[in-house]
Amino acid sequence: MTFLDTSEAPSGFLDSPQARALLVRVIRVAFPHAQLPDTAYEKTAAALIALAEKTPRHFLALSSGLASLDTLPAGAFLDLNATDATARLRAIEQTEFFGFIRANTVLTLYNLPEVWEALGYEGASFDKGGYLTRGFNDLDWLPEPRIEEYTGELNYVEIGPLTRQVGTGTAPAASAATRDEVTK
Amino acid sequence: MTAIDHDEEAVVIIGSGAGGGTLAYELTARGIKVVVLEAGPHITNAEYVNDEWAAFSQMAWLDPRTTSGSWRIARDFPNLPAWIVKAVGGSTTHWSGATPRFLAHEFEARSTYGAIDGANLLDWPLTLAELAPYYDRAEIAMGSTHRHGRAALPANNNYKVFANGAARVGYNFYATGPYATNAEPYDGRPASVQDGFNFQGDKSGAKWSTLVREIPRAEATGHLDLRPLSQAVQISHDRTGRADAVLYLDAAGGMHRQRARIVCVAGNSIETPRLLLLSASSLFPDGLANSSGQVGRNYMRHTTGSVYAQFPDPVHSYRGETMAGIIADEARHDERRGFAGGYYLETLSLGPAFLAAFANPGAWGRDFTAILDGYAHTAGLWIVGEDMPQETNRITLNGSVTDAAGLPVANVNFDDHPNDVAMREHGYRQAELLYDAVGSISAHRTPPYPSTHNLGTSRMSARPEDGVVNKFGRAHDVPNLFVSDGSVFTTGAAANPTLTIVALAIRQADHIAEQLANGTL
Ligand SMILES: Cc1cc2nc3c(=O)[nH]c(=O)nc-3n(C[C@H](O)[C@H](O)[C@H](O)COP(=O)(O)OP(=O)(O)OC[C@H]3O[C@@H](n4cnc5c(N)ncnc54)[C@H](O)[C@@H]3O)c2cc1C
Repeated sequence: MTFLDTSEAPSGFLDSPQARALLVRVIRVAFPHAQLPDTAYEKTAAALIALAEKTPRHFLALSSGLASLDTLPAGAFLDLNATDATARLRAIEQTEFFGFIRANTVLTLYNLPEVWEALGYEGASFDKGGYLTRGFNDLDWLPEPRIEEYTGELNYVEIGPLTRQVGTGTAPAASAATRDEVTK
Repeated sequence: MTAIDHDEEAVVIIGSGAGGGTLAYELTARGIKVVVLEAGPHITNAEYVNDEWAAFSQMAWLDPRTTSGSWRIARDFPNLPAWIVKAVGGSTTHWSGATPRFLAHEFEARSTYGAIDGANLLDWPLTLAELAPYYDRAEIAMGSTHRHGRAALPANNNYKVFANGAARVGYNFYATGPYATNAEPYDGRPASVQDGFNFQGDKSGAKWSTLVREIPRAEATGHLDLRPLSQAVQISHDRTGRADAVLYLDAAGGMHRQRARIVCVAGNSIETPRLLLLSASSLFPDGLANSSGQVGRNYMRHTTGSVYAQFPDPVHSYRGETMAGIIADEARHDERRGFAGGYYLETLSLGPAFLAAFANPGAWGRDFTAILDGYAHTAGLWIVGEDMPQETNRITLNGSVTDAAGLPVANVNFDDHPNDVAMREHGYRQAELLYDAVGSISAHRTPPYPSTHNLGTSRMSARPEDGVVNKFGRAHDVPNLFVSDGSVFTTGAAANPTLTIVALAIRQADHIAEQLANGTL
């Protein structure tokens, strides 16, 4: 996209420190992680601005979305606490503006090596010889399980019920916290 | 590199993945001349990258496709219905390696399950006993662990959680395989270094794929002309209705014509029916080999879903072979569970980049970030079970969206069958119980990913009116046209499909070679 160098050209708001600060805040409120360095959010914001500037559609959505965030009666977005800011974003989550930020943050933020490191992921491994001697089996809080196929006295059941009891029903602890509505 | 003249009547195979690559090797090994047309580039192991998105952009089929129906994919990934590779070796370069066989009754789904509303069930025109010797050959070719003397892979961290949980809920039939990656050097390829990047091509070559085994061996026979960056766009036929050539586009968009004695289509279950539909003519107005009207129908993708559970202690599940862990107890058919057919549970781990993209598409906020905050303490598994063939789950040509060449793209329409929904729900619950049994503090249900298993769109049938091909994959309507990939599956079974695709391709090669030798083809 090229901008005309005349008085009719867009204001350049998206390039302003204010726009960048707002975007960093939106991303941090929408994707809160205590352990991530500020640079991760800043890099993501910069990448999203660069991406938006490539197409008029995203440029318009991001510019007007950010600019209007800060002109709300509720007060400046940057002054809202995390709870209020989250509520504010929930109210606009269906907009093109927020959808652009959400989708591209997921693709950008979690693809940053510094974020991998903060989350405890080690990234590329082949050049280091894989994990064969670097902990692929270092979990020590459970007993060593069998790796061979079952050779006990039970027959494998192909049709009909199992011949011994297997746990069924709903897991008490596991389910409560994050069972999202998952459909298909 | 062998060059076969465009006017020479060769066996032309379209696609170089599990089906096409295997067939190419088995035929060339018998001295039969083969041209393989592969739409994607020839990427080698050294070029692969240990980076999820970079590898995906390098390998995946990214040409446009469209979606419709009530599946969540149509909302979340409207242009990415399936996760399929476009490169020499096909999706075997992306695949992880689980190789269970079908169970005997899974070849007789209609007889075993009875009539199920809305399901277009049919028995295969083939039995387990007939396929068993080919399963042996496929397992030996692929080096499946736990089979034919191949050693088991060791337990990685994700498997330790998985197997201990399995034992505690009362499952018995679990192991680190069968899995087609070397635990020890085998067949000229090294043992796994447990690098955790199976889905990104596997730089080491420990993992079986047609890229590392069948394609180079076929080239070594001197009978293979492999043409990468060559996308078949039409199969033409003569006045008698026999296939006589394949038209294809090169990378620059130039159109070529390769004469053919036999044509074998192995483009995976979306592109295979697309090509047959693109090959409609005055003689075959509904598409080539489509007198039954079944081309493109009965599209299956397996009933899937994942559960990622978090624990107080570290897991580091991303280290090591991604899917070297299989539980088979639920693969049985047991109507008391409230659905027909069965499913496997298999270990699975994604990096943060893919986990963020697929864990709950569209989600944001604290519930979402909690999934990633616990990354290092997370164990994961995948449900893979039989889904019901439905006539309306279907690949069609999209009249309004075209690819770079101006050809209509494939539209994938899919609705879950109630049987699929009930099975998935059961699988989610069993997975949560399993992790709960080893002390999980949370568990997250992930919806199905873009389809990695694509099946059924040119199915085998005893009678021509019920399907597209016979028990050897030969088209009912066109005597020298074969389908050589997962499209031929009459029903999906619970097993991951690739071992069966390879076994069927080996069997088909025997059949073609025999027919060529006795002059009937
Ligand atoms: C991430 C992932 C993990 C998987 N894990 C497992 C597993 O553990 N176990 C298992 O059994 N399966 C697994 N699979 C599935 C497995 O990869 C497929 O079942 C198998 O590769 C399908 O074989 P195919 O021959 O039908 O197609 P493919 O292997 O996809 O090959 C098709 C080829 O045809 C080419 N092609 C398509 N159209 C044309 C055309 N018009 N002209 C020329 N070429 C064309 C494509 O570019 C492609 O290279 C996995 C898949 C993925 C993506």
